[in-house]
Amino acid sequence: MRRLTSIALLAATLALTVPAVAQVRAPDGAPNPTASSVNEEMLFKQDPKIHGRISIPNATAANLIQPQGREWREFRESWLPWIGGLVVLGMLAALGLFYFTRGRIRLEHSEESGKKILRFNSFERFSHWMTATCFIILSLSGLNYIFGKRLLMPLIGPEAFATLAQYGKYAHIYLAWPFMLGVLFMLVLWIKDNIPGKIDWIWLKQGGGLLGDAHPSAGRFNAGQKMVFWMVVGFGLAMGATGIMMIFPFAATDINGMQIMQVIHSLIGVVFIAGILAHIYIGSLGMEGAYDAMGSGEVDLAWAKVHHDLWVKEQQAKTASGPQLGRGQVPAE
Amino acid sequence: MKAFLVAVAMAVVLATAASFLLAENQRFAYQAFATSGARVSDPGTNLVGPRWTGDIKDPGGAGHKPAGHKAEAGS
Repeated sequence: MRRLTSIALLAATLALTVPAVAQVRAPDGAPNPTASSVNEEMLFKQDPKIHGRISIPNATAANLIQPQGREWREFRESWLPWIGGLVVLGMLAALGLFYFTRGRIRLEHSEESGKKILRFNSFERFSHWMTATCFIILSLSGLNYIFGKRLLMPLIGPEAFATLAQYGKYAHIYLAWPFMLGVLFMLVLWIKDNIPGKIDWIWLKQGGGLLGDAHPSAGRFNAGQKMVFWMVVGFGLAMGATGIMMIFPFAATDINGMQIMQVIHSLIGVVFIAGILAHIYIGSLGMEGAYDAMGSGEVDLAWAKVHHDLWVKEQQAKTASGPQLGRGQVPAE
Repeated sequence: MKAFLVAVAMAVVLATAASFLLAENQRFAYQAFATSGARVSDPGTNLVGPRWTGDIKDPGGAGHKPAGHKAEAGS
């Protein structure tokens, strides 16, 4: 009797377990014997990366699969070229449209007195040009990271492109340092003249003189120039910080962090380039007489009175003899 | 113009100085990634050869053979 009971219990147990085994099947209904084995999805529930143990000193080589890398690659190869192209080409198109509709802002007769006033001293111009020349090389070599293999390599061939990209990479890494130094110089030199104030709001409401013929009052820097200043300082420091984390890989963050740094670096970079294109336009082609400020350092006194009236008054109030003027210029009257 | 030229010269000088300083922090792969138990190539070569053919000894000469031939000879 006991034997019969045992057999009955065994049969009942088998009857209960067989359906459970039968449920482990592939989507098409076929048996799937590895369904309960460890798979990628289960591993990622334990840890965001799949990694093992290695004996070589390169600890990062232990990382086998890092899913965020796929998202980063999707951004890097698909989204970034479109975002970069639209931002940079969009700004060029906007500037072209502005030029052909508004035209170059010409000097008025009343803005030419023949007397000069020193607007930027030698060190200020040195700091500006060191940062600017580095920025241009950094921009071109940075854009090469995004567009080089797509646009340049088909034109010049893989060998020439490889050489160019290699030197571009060197330039990008090494010129980043004088660029960062230049940004710091400009921050110290001009921060006191770039504090936003009520006058800037009035300047903005009047379109800064760009949209009409009015010349709203401004100090040493108008609201537009202040925006450029804070853009350069903010973006410059952000580019420096994210760039340093990539120059020294794994020093401050892991591979996920470096990919995030690259995303930030590239997105700020293309917006930065677009902003500086507008700055270059208004400082050269867009406004007659504006380049002299950073070219020779001197501007016409009448021009300064029209565009930076409050600054001229401030300079005149400082001293009648104009010690800020060099090389025998006529002092601001 | 003088400020511009000095700025460009200073940028080159600082970039050159940066290149030397950064080089101080770098080691070759065969130095950084090798131990007594794992050797990553020798200085001046790599595991696939200069032409990426897998043929390290005779990369571009008359006796050049594809990687498959080399593997067969070694097996």
